[in-house]
Amino acid sequence: MLDQPAEGYVTEDGRKIGGVLMEMKNITLRFGGVTAIKDISFDIREGEIRAIIGPNGAGKSSMLNVISGFYVPQEGEVWFKGAKRAQMKPYQVARQGIARTFQNIALFEGMSVLDNIMTGRLTHMKANVIDQAVWWGRAQVEETENREKVEKIIDFLEIQNIRKTPVGRLPYGLKKRVELARALAAEPMLLLLDEPMAGMNVEEKEDMSRFILDVNDEFGTTIALIEHDMGVVMDLSDRVVVMDYGKKIGDGTPGEVRANQDVIDAYLGVSHD
Amino acid sequence: MPDQLLFAMEVTLNGLMAGVMYALVALGFVLIFKASGIFNYAQGVMALFAAMTLVGIQKGQVPFAHLINAVFGTNIHYFGWELPAILAILLTVIVMIGFAWLVNKLVLRHLVNQEPIILFMATIGLAYFLEGVADLMWGAEIKKLDVGLPQGLNATIDEVTFNLFGYGFFIDNLDIAATVIAAVLVTGLVIFSQYTKQGRALRAVADDHQAALSVGISLNFIWVLVWAIAGFVALVAGIMWGAKSGVQFSLSLIALKALPVLMLGGFTSIPGAIVGGLIIGMGEQLFEFLIGQPFLGGATQNWFAYVLALVFLVFRPQGLFGERIIERV
Amino acid sequence: MGTAAADGQLDTFPRLLARNAEKFGNKPAYREKEFGIWQSWTWAEARDEIEALAYGLLDMGLNEGDHVALVGRNRPHMYWSMVAAQMCGAVPVPIYQDSVGEEIAYVLDHCGARFVIAQDQEQVDKVIEVKDRLPTLEEVIYLDKRGMRKYDHTHLRLFDFVQDEGRATRDKGEREMAARLAKQDGNTTCVMLYTSGTTGRPKGVVLSNDNIIITSKNSAEFDHLVPGDDILAYLPMAWVGDFIFSVGQAYWTGFCVNCPESADTMMTDLREIGPSYYFAPPRIFETQLTTVMIRMEDAGNLKRWLFERFMAHAKVVGPKLLDGERVGALEKLKYSLGNLLVYGPLKNTLGLSRIRVGYTAGEAIGPEIFDFYRSLGINLKQLYGQTEASVFITQQKDHEVRADTVGTPTPGVELRIDDSGEVFYRSPGVFVKYFKNEESTASTKDAEGWVATGDAGFIEPDTGHLRIIDRAKDVGKMASGALFAPKYVENKLKFYPNILEAVVFGAGRDTCTAFINIDLTAVGNWAERNNIAYASYQELAGHPQVLDMIQSHIAETNESVARDEMLSGCQIHRFLVLHKELDADDGELTRTRKVRRRIIEEKFADLINALYDGSESVSTETEVTYEDGRKGSIKATLEIRNVTTVEARAPQAVAAE
Repeated sequence: MLDQPAEGYVTEDGRKIGGVLMEMKNITLRFGGVTAIKDISFDIREGEIRAIIGPNGAGKSSMLNVISGFYVPQEGEVWFKGAKRAQMKPYQVARQGIARTFQNIALFEGMSVLDNIMTGRLTHMKANVIDQAVWWGRAQVEETENREKVEKIIDFLEIQNIRKTPVGRLPYGLKKRVELARALAAEPMLLLLDEPMAGMNVEEKEDMSRFILDVNDEFGTTIALIEHDMGVVMDLSDRVVVMDYGKKIGDGTPGEVRANQDVIDAYLGVSHD
Repeated sequence: MPDQLLFAMEVTLNGLMAGVMYALVALGFVLIFKASGIFNYAQGVMALFAAMTLVGIQKGQVPFAHLINAVFGTNIHYFGWELPAILAILLTVIVMIGFAWLVNKLVLRHLVNQEPIILFMATIGLAYFLEGVADLMWGAEIKKLDVGLPQGLNATIDEVTFNLFGYGFFIDNLDIAATVIAAVLVTGLVIFSQYTKQGRALRAVADDHQAALSVGISLNFIWVLVWAIAGFVALVAGIMWGAKSGVQFSLSLIALKALPVLMLGGFTSIPGAIVGGLIIGMGEQLFEFLIGQPFLGGATQNWFAYVLALVFLVFRPQGLFGERIIERV
Repeated sequence: MGTAAADGQLDTFPRLLARNAEKFGNKPAYREKEFGIWQSWTWAEARDEIEALAYGLLDMGLNEGDHVALVGRNRPHMYWSMVAAQMCGAVPVPIYQDSVGEEIAYVLDHCGARFVIAQDQEQVDKVIEVKDRLPTLEEVIYLDKRGMRKYDHTHLRLFDFVQDEGRATRDKGEREMAARLAKQDGNTTCVMLYTSGTTGRPKGVVLSNDNIIITSKNSAEFDHLVPGDDILAYLPMAWVGDFIFSVGQAYWTGFCVNCPESADTMMTDLREIGPSYYFAPPRIFETQLTTVMIRMEDAGNLKRWLFERFMAHAKVVGPKLLDGERVGALEKLKYSLGNLLVYGPLKNTLGLSRIRVGYTAGEAIGPEIFDFYRSLGINLKQLYGQTEASVFITQQKDHEVRADTVGTPTPGVELRIDDSGEVFYRSPGVFVKYFKNEESTASTKDAEGWVATGDAGFIEPDTGHLRIIDRAKDVGKMASGALFAPKYVENKLKFYPNILEAVVFGAGRDTCTAFINIDLTAVGNWAERNNIAYASYQELAGHPQVLDMIQSHIAETNESVARDEMLSGCQIHRFLVLHKELDADDGELTRTRKVRRRIIEEKFADLINALYDGSESVSTETEVTYEDGRKGSIKATLEIRNVTTVEARAPQAVAAE
């Protein structure tokens, strides 16, 4: 699978996978004396679901934070859409079309579900303060357009009933879904999901898996996700990167990774939990 | 005793209007506290600085005249023009925006992720620094501020109440104007924060920094925005207080008046600031009138404001409208 | 029995549709909330949509006499599908949308449906799963295209696409359509509805146009329904009630059918629409009341004081006002004040402020619950009905409303009570037959058209109101020969907000015992307020303090049961709280949430034994079905408690005053 043609291919279930959207080249990240990520390279193709797995402390979350600009690696290059990315603040990364969710959920707890999801549209809103003061009508049109997009997402994720509920009052599983909705509202080119199923029960996990697949299928969104629930990952993803102690020990289709001896030794064979 | 009742009503009305002023100052605190968790000790000084700048620009005063004259041996004080009030206000707004930008660039940016107490200390430093700059820039003498707001007794109210009760209420036009302006300001702020892109971004930052970053909001931009808005609110407060009692350094002490208001209303609530201001304004005047003056020798206003706030603090630490502090087990 | 043809040929739904499109062309016929906004269709627009679909179905080869199965939630499109099928001379067969594969397979096979109209991917999946076993099934049409892109579309079509085809092929099909429409009359089958039935396989009840239209006419006139009325269509489309309200009465009267955005948003949508005509099973009124009470417990002192004070007043004055009795001017004034401060805002939050006619039926409603809504000035009434009767058998007249009766016969209905106490009726709404089941048809409906309800009851001599005691077959004898009416006791128990479901045993035994299901919302809230931690339903259900509470409820119920001479033997001696909620997916309840006694007796035989052998606890393992159809099992040890009972006493003479 790794030697698929550069211009892309079609999966067995008929989804189009394109060329490389993002490439991490020899990334090394240190915190003081601790090396969290050691010389890792991999790519993410357009339209695929790419998983990064590994035991706790393997450096998965650090990798996601590098992609989303929250951490700046000491060495290595990040290439996005065929160009090397300059050092960027997280908000600049977000404006480039990379949306994310967080392992511990970062939502605006005091705001309603609708408002939370609307913040996902901020990067798409053109009207500035002055416009809004002077062209109230035009700003309202823009607001309505964005509201429509958001409503489609609300419908898609089946959260109509909590539209007006303050996020702080929602149970954990629904918060995760709202966070996904907010990320989707940005219509990202790349969607990063940090342990989307952590802390969920079986039913919630199944729902979330279905939503992730549907998002990828329906909107063609490229998704990179971190997960330590192996079963879920293998069912969901097109390709998997396996990390252990900050190093990459495997990369390929779920089938290839399953057969990889290093992976079996480091992760599948030994339980780190 | 009907006379006593009428007096009380008049005192209440006047108290409410004074409360509007307190609320205005408290509002500036709340805005910054909500968005960045900083208790901005300099808010009062900002009001002073804004008012002095406004008067200076309006009167065509040369900034740093003392300094210039001392260094170059010149004797210039005025450019020799007088600007219309509205233009002067606009220029002052621009100055306050510049100030917000500078504060963020020179101070806050370097203190990201520091303890709140450090940030608080920084604002104390900022307050005294700004006071000094204001002094140096515009001179320390008491100035008269006049932007054309109506002043003096409101004849209509006087007449109507006289016909009704046989006793005319003394209500200052300036207080009425202040109330109207404050209402407009608050409505504007609410519309801004609820219905505009930047308003939504501001609320987002106030709620969760990390999440705000992930949806593409620049924290620096929002902080400049918040300080600029706080500067604008300070300007409005400065105009009101300045018009009432002249622009002088005691103006910076109105911050002390805002403190009990905040304790009452909660540090994070805009409605809290308003209702808190009204309660304190009305409460202290009524207490003075009913108990302070007759039994305690008078001048109990400040004392009462703090006592009331303290009592509230004991029973409702989060304030009247503040977010409830619940530790879920 | 006359036909509806008397009303100028308004004897079929396509004809009613044509009349409505002409007469009320610009009035709203359907509304649905989608993407957060209420979309609406006038009668003229609805006609266009329905015709487009009908021509599309015709083009797809739908034949006269075919069955078209519909499975999905209440959406205008689903209602259109029913009438479109009728236009083609086919029979719509709505199926319960929460049915699992097996149930759907049975119905599709039994009616031999060629076409299925499914709402979304979930429903399509269920149909495709069982498709191999259904030789007659040809085409599946779906409404919501989400997730459907990858499916094999040889026999799968999008609803909109069928409508487009229909618009394109209209000219070609016009003559055929006209011929089919002309053939239809009052005797043509209108709809076939499968009864969920407490026992055995569901039966297909065939209802003719006359059945539905005459019943709709009589009941709509009884309550003076008008074109401007609004109802909220949220109950299962496969249930006869929804068909009568949202199709029968809606088409007859020309009022508007409003569909909620989703099942979860029903309460919000109810508030936004504010229907003027409303039906809800007692369960919904109970849930709403529970929510109100919980909110009041959490409310500030002033609010609670106002609420309690004015509710007390409403309890006295409200029902009198509704019943048209005379009330003092001062009382009236205080009621108006209450309306301003409490009742009005409360009704508004409940979404019931515009209700002119409200009904409940299906189960007994708690008198307190019933009175609560009546005292707010909501004209809530009861009706009694069945699928086989096209719903209406009896209903309560305005000003003649009571919690313990189900009213007088609906115009056109005759009632009879036989020697065993079972209620029989005969009416224009009586069904034609059970589909492919002559035996059952004959045993239910006699030659003269009388139908057995299966319920035991009596007619109050002085008022003419019907009172229902229990299912006829459930009324039994205890070992002592005393009367055993489980539902009577269960209903009393269920009136406690903490008790969701109760099953009472005792037929042929010396004493009565009971299974209890707690209400998670009410008990959960109570637990939160009392700082009782629990991790699961099971843990909460087994908590000693919960058991204490249930025990006291049962003791109170016993006191009340003991007061009734005839039924005092039905007091509960021992009980346990079940570790799982009784569930339709596990077959313990019907889809309309009625207890399936026999299945429960078999499934929990070990627990029943423990209730009677004196043991203090019992360990058990129960199979459960998850929402997606997978099975699992849960283990539990349940505590059994004894309850104090009251000595059955002879009716004491009350000291004369």
